[in-house]
Amino acid sequence: MKDLCQYAVDAAAGLGARYADARIVRFRRQQVNTEDLRVSGIGDSESLGLGVRVIAHGAWGFAAGTELDREAVAGTARRAVEIARASALAADPAGIRWAAETPVTGCFRTDVAKDPFAMPLDVKTGLLLDVARRALAVPGVKKCHGAMHFKKEHRFFVNSEGTTIESETTTSTARYTATAVDANTARTRYFEAYPANAGYEHLERFPLLDEAPRVAEEAVRKLSGKTCPVGRRDLVLHPSHLALTLHESIGHATELDRVLGMEESLAGSSFATVDRLGKLQYGSPLMNVLCDNTLPAGLATRGYDDDGVPGQRWHVIRDGILVDYMTGREVCHAIGADRSRGSCRADSWASIPIVRQSNIGLEPGSRPLTPDELIAGVDDGIYIEGMGSFSIDQKRLNFQFGGDCFWEIRNGRKGEMLKDVTYQAITTEFWGALDAICDRRFWQPYGVMNCGKGDPMQIAQMTHGSAPARFRGIRVGGANL
Amino acid sequence: MNRTTAQGILEKVLKCAKADAVVASLHGEDAASTRMSDNVITQNVQCRKTTLHVECAYGQRHGSASTDDLHEEALKAAVERAQTIAQASPPDEEYLPPVEAVEAGKYARVDAFCERTARSTPEEKARALAAAAQQVQAAKLRLSGGFASGARFFALANSAGLRAYHAMTEASFHATVLGPAGSGWAECTANRIGGIDVAATARKALETCRAAQNPRPVEPGPYDVILSPAAIGEMMRFAFQWTLDAKSADEGRSCLRGKLGTQVFGRNIGILSDPAEPTCPTAPFFGDGMAVPRIAWVEQGVLKNLAYSRFWAKKQGRTPTGHPTNLRMKGGDTSLERMIASVGRGLLVNRFWYIRYVDPMRPTLTGMTRDGLFLIEDGRIAGPVQQMRFNEDTTAMLNRVEMLGPVERTGSALMPTVKVKDFHFDSATKF
Repeated sequence: MKDLCQYAVDAAAGLGARYADARIVRFRRQQVNTEDLRVSGIGDSESLGLGVRVIAHGAWGFAAGTELDREAVAGTARRAVEIARASALAADPAGIRWAAETPVTGCFRTDVAKDPFAMPLDVKTGLLLDVARRALAVPGVKKCHGAMHFKKEHRFFVNSEGTTIESETTTSTARYTATAVDANTARTRYFEAYPANAGYEHLERFPLLDEAPRVAEEAVRKLSGKTCPVGRRDLVLHPSHLALTLHESIGHATELDRVLGMEESLAGSSFATVDRLGKLQYGSPLMNVLCDNTLPAGLATRGYDDDGVPGQRWHVIRDGILVDYMTGREVCHAIGADRSRGSCRADSWASIPIVRQSNIGLEPGSRPLTPDELIAGVDDGIYIEGMGSFSIDQKRLNFQFGGDCFWEIRNGRKGEMLKDVTYQAITTEFWGALDAICDRRFWQPYGVMNCGKGDPMQIAQMTHGSAPARFRGIRVGGANL
Repeated sequence: MNRTTAQGILEKVLKCAKADAVVASLHGEDAASTRMSDNVITQNVQCRKTTLHVECAYGQRHGSASTDDLHEEALKAAVERAQTIAQASPPDEEYLPPVEAVEAGKYARVDAFCERTARSTPEEKARALAAAAQQVQAAKLRLSGGFASGARFFALANSAGLRAYHAMTEASFHATVLGPAGSGWAECTANRIGGIDVAATARKALETCRAAQNPRPVEPGPYDVILSPAAIGEMMRFAFQWTLDAKSADEGRSCLRGKLGTQVFGRNIGILSDPAEPTCPTAPFFGDGMAVPRIAWVEQGVLKNLAYSRFWAKKQGRTPTGHPTNLRMKGGDTSLERMIASVGRGLLVNRFWYIRYVDPMRPTLTGMTRDGLFLIEDGRIAGPVQQMRFNEDTTAMLNRVEMLGPVERTGSALMPTVKVKDFHFDSATKF
């Protein structure tokens, strides 16, 4: 495969490309789905193809296809150069400023103890069906959906600068929902072995079966939960919830291509503009946000990005101040950086690499603080677990989030369950209201498997970690009608 | 890939399968997209791929596999994977045998393929974008957008003798024009590239952008609104495309539970799907080979039909319908000017962004306005205002639609401009 990549790169160079890279990627995916006590579907897919990206005639071209004989590979390279020639009709007169990167011969492989594709199907279906039996045994629960998803990506990357990379990443996750139905409505609660770049052993660390009755009982309790209050409340957010808030209000806002307007026509731009770098008070001084594409089991941990840049660790926010962005080789010059942060990825051989969120997390508090102590500091507030409804404007300022499960906090104690809680804020005001974060013992990674960006749309994955955190005086109940 | 080649591959797949029942399908596309930001092309891509999907069943045990590799050995390997999964799977009471060959007689005649669109070049799209950028640049504004075109096909063969093939093309252009303090947006989608007027669409976005400069804040609250086809279309996609499932409704897990045959919406609301819709056609058959019907979901505000899978239809004694492949909302003859003239104080919404469910059981949606929000006072546009967030119960909203305009295509839907009373905005953003 490396030889074919090299062949494509050489073909593009021979046609005048000043830069070329080629990726051949083989994906294998397995999806196991259950609905109540039946296996509703098991699918196993394979995808193998080549993507060739070039800078030629001062502009970008990208072509992809599934034919991998030498003639077809040369044809794909030729198409990429022809497309670049078309791009030159309206190319940036300043040209493409492609950051230098030392050529490497690299190799990366996810640590996998148990290959999920080698695990017997009846182990997977058996577990999900056992979960369903336990969930459905709870009075009031009428539906249980279960799912496991496994992915293996074997990538070969070669570029015209002499870089050659081979990587194999494996992703595993499992999730189920219990739905309670009464005479008036229905409510759902979920539990997951959060997605991670790991093998089947990752799933075995989670009490998927043992938690089923609790999850089901909480679905029933959601039916009769108290309605979300309207007004301002303190919020205590569990890492399983905060992952999505981080993703939407910090992750996307600090992708440099968005900041520069390159996503304006679809996903939007960002309020965190380059002129505010080093000055923008993003949030509380307690706030340190670390990007880490070396994080063990991180969903964006794959050794090297699709620009051929090694994974790195860096802060985008330090002591509450915006100090950096997630970048690729095409855009890093805009902030005066001479090297990319290695955050450029494609979701397939068929897609062009674009700046994507790295693994990005909120660093834990520096002083010892437990979740109980965090809650003890709240007189009138709400505790939120899990992801739910989410929406944010195209500059990443006004957002509204729901969640999966909510509890009232009264006089420092977790109390009755609430339902349909939403909170709204402006990003900087929300993060400015952060007043405490639990310590490193309580830091947990969660993941996003369905991050949509780009045109054509690409779906990416990344990990977001945090410890439970507290936010003062956030507006809740704005969605109550 | 043409019909003959596709069916040749599928016959090989059927021939090498040993399962009791087999459904094999090929989905192929040759798609290209040229993207622009700040008046220059920043991305230009093309992808060709064809995927085989095969489902095998032994009695009620079934499994599926797919591959992009169409060499004979890879086809056999995919069949073997599907068979292995099926044999290892427990029986599924909801599995039904493949659709019978006679189903092909029910397929609508759909004309959605255009040779010129299939042959459109990156150069053609780049030239159109360059011209649009010049137009925008001349106004000292910035164009971002995308111009895409492509051809795709879907072919199917099963062990019950059904053979099906459908090819279609599609082209789309969307433009965001940015000024120093405001933006405008417009889009155009068609099955023939000749139906895409890049210059006119860019001009529309440009004019909206000019009008949208220096927006002032207004207080959130209930407003009479005029929603563009794109804005109402995005809401309808959430409100209908994903909530019509009959099984969810019958099991009490959907906002439409117990509502079949009842007056749910205002009498001026009608929603239907039609694969042969001339300006918004879709494939005439579903992935399992079942015909896509022309079907009215809502007539005069009454929920007439829910979306039935083959299994659920059989269980409930209904006709299978599948889910909507396109949506057409009944329009009216009220012009935009007349709608604006009828508003004392309200808002004109150019588009919505990031719509999501808040409570799928009502269903309540939230989302933001984007790229053009205008205050209407005393029947006239008073000026641009800053973007706002809405939270709205769509069932209640569809009982407050006061006026409907002619329909136009937006994405894979045909939607009118609508005037809605007391639409609920509850917060503002900073621009």
